[in-house]
Amino acid sequence: MSLPYFDVFVPDSIEEACSFLEKDQAGGVRILAGGTDVLVDLQRPVLQSSLYNLAEAGSDGTPLLTTFETGQKDPPIWAEKERNNPSSLVSLHKLASLKRIEVLDDGRLQVGALATAREIQRDPDIRQKWAALAEGADAVGSPLVRARGTIGGNICNARPAADMLVPAICLDAELRLQSSAGVRTIRSEEFVTGPGRTTIQPGEILTHIIFPAPAQKSGSAYYKLAQRKALDISVVGVASSITLGQDGEVTDVRVTMGAVGPIPLMAPSVAEILVGSEPTEDLIDEAARGAVQDVTPIDDHRGTLEYRRQMVEVLTARTLRLSIQRAGGQQ
Amino acid sequence: MKRIVALTVNGVHHELAVQPQRTLLELIREDIGLTGTKKGCGIGDCGGCTVLVDDVPTFSCLMLAVQADGCNVETVEGLAENGELNRLQQAFVDHGAIQCGYCTPGMLMTSTQLLREEPHPSENEIRTAISGNLCRCTGYQKIVESIQQAAEGDNE
Repeated sequence: MSLPYFDVFVPDSIEEACSFLEKDQAGGVRILAGGTDVLVDLQRPVLQSSLYNLAEAGSDGTPLLTTFETGQKDPPIWAEKERNNPSSLVSLHKLASLKRIEVLDDGRLQVGALATAREIQRDPDIRQKWAALAEGADAVGSPLVRARGTIGGNICNARPAADMLVPAICLDAELRLQSSAGVRTIRSEEFVTGPGRTTIQPGEILTHIIFPAPAQKSGSAYYKLAQRKALDISVVGVASSITLGQDGEVTDVRVTMGAVGPIPLMAPSVAEILVGSEPTEDLIDEAARGAVQDVTPIDDHRGTLEYRRQMVEVLTARTLRLSIQRAGGQQ
Repeated sequence: MKRIVALTVNGVHHELAVQPQRTLLELIREDIGLTGTKKGCGIGDCGGCTVLVDDVPTFSCLMLAVQADGCNVETVEGLAENGELNRLQQAFVDHGAIQCGYCTPGMLMTSTQLLREEPHPSENEIRTAISGNLCRCTGYQKIVESIQQAAEGDNE
């Protein structure tokens, strides 16, 4: 038996799921979507006990495993005892409505939180109009991870390198959260507060992710830099989204960068440099250099601080050019 | 508390009472007794436990048995036709794509679904499709050639 004992509750409706969550808000319940993170976390206490000595062994008092495990100098997630020893799981797999991907009448894209990366990759509307999201889904884990891993899980796990979270923030997606008290909506940019930490409240379920309709002459792109093409966590991941005006000038631009800070970071410098101007080669390069000012990367085994800063510049320029091209601009 | 799970495995319907924390992998291997599906890492990295769940290659180690309720599951035992290895399996044998053999069931299931969706995949499509299935023996080249041969055989 690889997993510790827990009970599983399988609700038939979101309301039922919420009422179950409401009953136990002490942290003894975890929501199970695709399971690619949760069912790994639940095995960590076993791992922890066998590696306990190693974790204690850092000469400077820093547990050796901390940095390796999380890529961040925050407490390893398996140290969160309740999180990894829940008494029960609420498995959402019967909630078919949360698997749906649809373009709404007003042109917005509504993605159910249980849509898998594989389903997002294969959706022709997303590929065409919300390309950064499609490319984020392409970059997740491996084909097997993409087959199970959901966009809702990717967002709620709130890892700084999360390949669907970074494009979602770039595309200014809204998150719809439901609880027994009702429904609230929050901008994805305001959702993540730290590595693995969000403003989701006990009893709340992320049900839908809603993307604004793309403006005329707009385009987006996501690029993940990693040491391998599969089963790796990015060294740097950058999503860009740009809108051009009638004369080819930039009217709006958003750049979001993953794995260069405790949470996905926005690059306000890019908008300051580009908005109102025609995106010439030189100006794009200047904007990309500007993005480097907005990051706070660390050294870890995936890459050095300095390498990450350089790659932020490269990937910002690259995704901006691709976004402009997709928007029908000159680049 | 045990829960009832009803699912189809290789065309055979099963109804089983399982512990909530039981994985699909454990259900397949220990409850149904089909041990072709292998446990490797147990955390969704190696692909050794890949089965098809409703035509999607899925790691059975990170899917709870209760999540497979109502699903159609295919394992490596379901590939042979009338007791003979199918074309893809035979290609693996012919090309030396099997060395220790541990990744083979997962590789076969992933590539089975690839060939169903794309009967004539490019080398790049093959390599992408199997990028979640780790093999430490073959260097992948023989596996890619086997899948290519099975795809070409489709033209005959």
